Amino acid sequence: MRLFLAALVLMVGTIPAGAQWLDRKTPGIPRTPDGKPNLTAPAPRGPDGKPDLAGVWNAPAVVARPDPANLQPWVLDLARQHQQEYYKARPYYQCRPSGPEAERFGGWKRILQTPAAIAILNDDLTYRVIHTDGRELEANPAPSWTGYSVGRWDGDTLVVSSTGFNDKTWVSRYGVSHTGALRITERYRRTDLGHLHVEVAFTDPGASAKPWGFTVDMRLAADTEMLEAVCEKSSEQWAGSLSDAASVAVSVPPDVLARYVGVYSGIYGGNKRTYDVTLSGGQLIATIVGEAVEGGLGAAGLDEGAPRPLVPLSQTVFEGLGLGYQFMVDDKGVATNLVVIHISGPYNYSRQR
Amino acid sequence: MRLLIAALTLIVGTMPAGAQWLDRPTPGIPRTADGKPNLTAPAPRGPDGTPDLTGVWNGPTPEPRLDPANEKPWVNDLVRQRQQDYHKTRPSYQCRPSGPEADRFAGWKRILQTSTAIAILNDDLTYRVIFMDGRELEANPAPSWMGYSVGHWDGDTLIVDSVGFNDKTWLSRYGQAHTEALRVTERYRRPDVGHLQVEVTFTDPAAFMKPWSFRADMALAADTNMLESICERSSDHWTGTLSEAASRAVTVAPEVLARYVGVYSGFYLGRPRTVEVTLSGGQLIARVTGAAGVDGGEIRPLVPQSETVFEGAGLGYQFIVDDTGAATDLVQINITGPYRFPRQR
Repeated sequence: MRLFLAALVLMVGTIPAGAQWLDRKTPGIPRTPDGKPNLTAPAPRGPDGKPDLAGVWNAPAVVARPDPANLQPWVLDLARQHQQEYYKARPYYQCRPSGPEAERFGGWKRILQTPAAIAILNDDLTYRVIHTDGRELEANPAPSWTGYSVGRWDGDTLVVSSTGFNDKTWVSRYGVSHTGALRITERYRRTDLGHLHVEVAFTDPGASAKPWGFTVDMRLAADTEMLEAVCEKSSEQWAGSLSDAASVAVSVPPDVLARYVGVYSGIYGGNKRTYDVTLSGGQLIATIVGEAVEGGLGAAGLDEGAPRPLVPLSQTVFEGLGLGYQFMVDDKGVATNLVVIHISGPYNYSRQR
Repeated sequence: MRLLIAALTLIVGTMPAGAQWLDRPTPGIPRTADGKPNLTAPAPRGPDGTPDLTGVWNGPTPEPRLDPANEKPWVNDLVRQRQQDYHKTRPSYQCRPSGPEADRFAGWKRILQTSTAIAILNDDLTYRVIFMDGRELEANPAPSWMGYSVGHWDGDTLIVDSVGFNDKTWLSRYGQAHTEALRVTERYRRPDVGHLQVEVTFTDPAAFMKPWSFRADMALAADTNMLESICERSSDHWTGTLSEAASRAVTVAPEVLARYVGVYSGFYLGRPRTVEVTLSGGQLIARVTGAAGVDGGEIRPLVPQSETVFEGAGLGYQFIVDDTGAATDLVQINITGPYRFPRQR
């Protein structure tokens, strides 16, 4: 397993449980009579009457799988190659800025708003600035990781246009590249105190035939604070690839594999997760049931429906897209538990049926 | 020289010369009759009457007076060890946040000020937030790279108190370590549109006998924009140490060394740099000074690797000689290329 463990995700968001200083009341927000933040109160407005987007926000992981048919062949080829290498070259895994990667639009962020500029501060300690002083987009800015952004108000919607990205970042964690001609349009609407709705559209004819996009629903993170989540160790030392795993595969008799077929449930990242293990064409397939898995290691690539084949490394240990899967068996060889091995530790899933 | 070149700094701020988009006039600042920014006009104030520090700022690297006698022995030992390793583990060389390192208080930054928070945005894409909503310092925040900062106004001076740092960062590029008990006090004053002065004090009794301070002076970067300067490649692969260089040292006759003593001046990354070479106890010493801070330290013993090529704390130094053997130029060899400094005297 050495090869695969070395390839696992290193960045695990940690929240110290119950730290008192994280429970401070956010000052200056409307509250209901019982003292709770009134998240459906009207959105606050600045002195200029425009909605004020300031606050600490959190959004669920963005799942952005562009339609493979819409991608230029070179982008598709690169995405496949990146998957082969467990997405090792993902900027975030290399401790480089994520830039316009779709997943960067989710997660924790703090927004500061002044009439002339808005700053979006991410929990990985990167940030971007949106100029709202009336300037136009520059025709030819120096290519940068976070681009050059200008915003204007269209009623209560902040419309942000961005250009000037370098081509070192991805637009999706599934290894989807873009060119330096990438343009991004964002539409921010704070519908009430507690909700910020964002529509994002990527236009980049050199990489994808038609514009594509996604939406993000952010919630005000009231009465808490944002914690840093800083990349400290790059993926440079990751070893192994999907085809390496295939080349060390062993043969396991079908009747042994059949004893592993079933449904396994446990807790991952504080939430319930269920794996469905099936047998198809002589190969075990693992599927995560009932949740949109954000991706990365252990997940399928661009094609959401693609199977996660488990490559046998021994009678009980399997490789599945960068994660280790070990079946615990009783004395009849029937699986009782499935242990999924991450770098953050083994996660035990008990067999349900 | 392979060893030495592999150990050189990779992070170079690049400024494309004459890019038109960098010359846009900054909106909303007072100007003189000829249209230039009026940098001595009164500092702008926010709606609450306090000075507004908002703007793009730039300042030279501060040179804190480092006093080894004020350092606890364990800090002293680490400083020596880190110099041996060419400061390879400096957070910014490893693509990690600099946190409270003194150098981080200088360079390019954009400040955004609102009534409840101030954000200081650095050109390496890291940032910090100073809470201005009246809250107190937390007694026990989770240790972080940038710490937990609260600010309040004392007249026209913004006083910022910070705690809650992790102990992974340095306080200077020379390797001064600190503990998680570090407290940082900053006093910001914007005397006019164009100037921002900061006094920074580090208090950390487990690392330093007494608190120590330095000052950073920033100037408003009007009519331009801040460019990103991102660490893309960590120092993990750096090899070599000072003692390895010493072990390969050759012997050069004192009269040969004496011909290199002098003052050499030129430009390094667009800024003036002077190297003063002296002879002390049979060893050449280079003192490197200039408009920008000198990574790895000002004072560099030159360890001879041949009659004309020397190792100086991670940089290569080559003396170009005339046919009498007297030096005419000093070439400083960086990973970005050789920089030639003609002899001045």
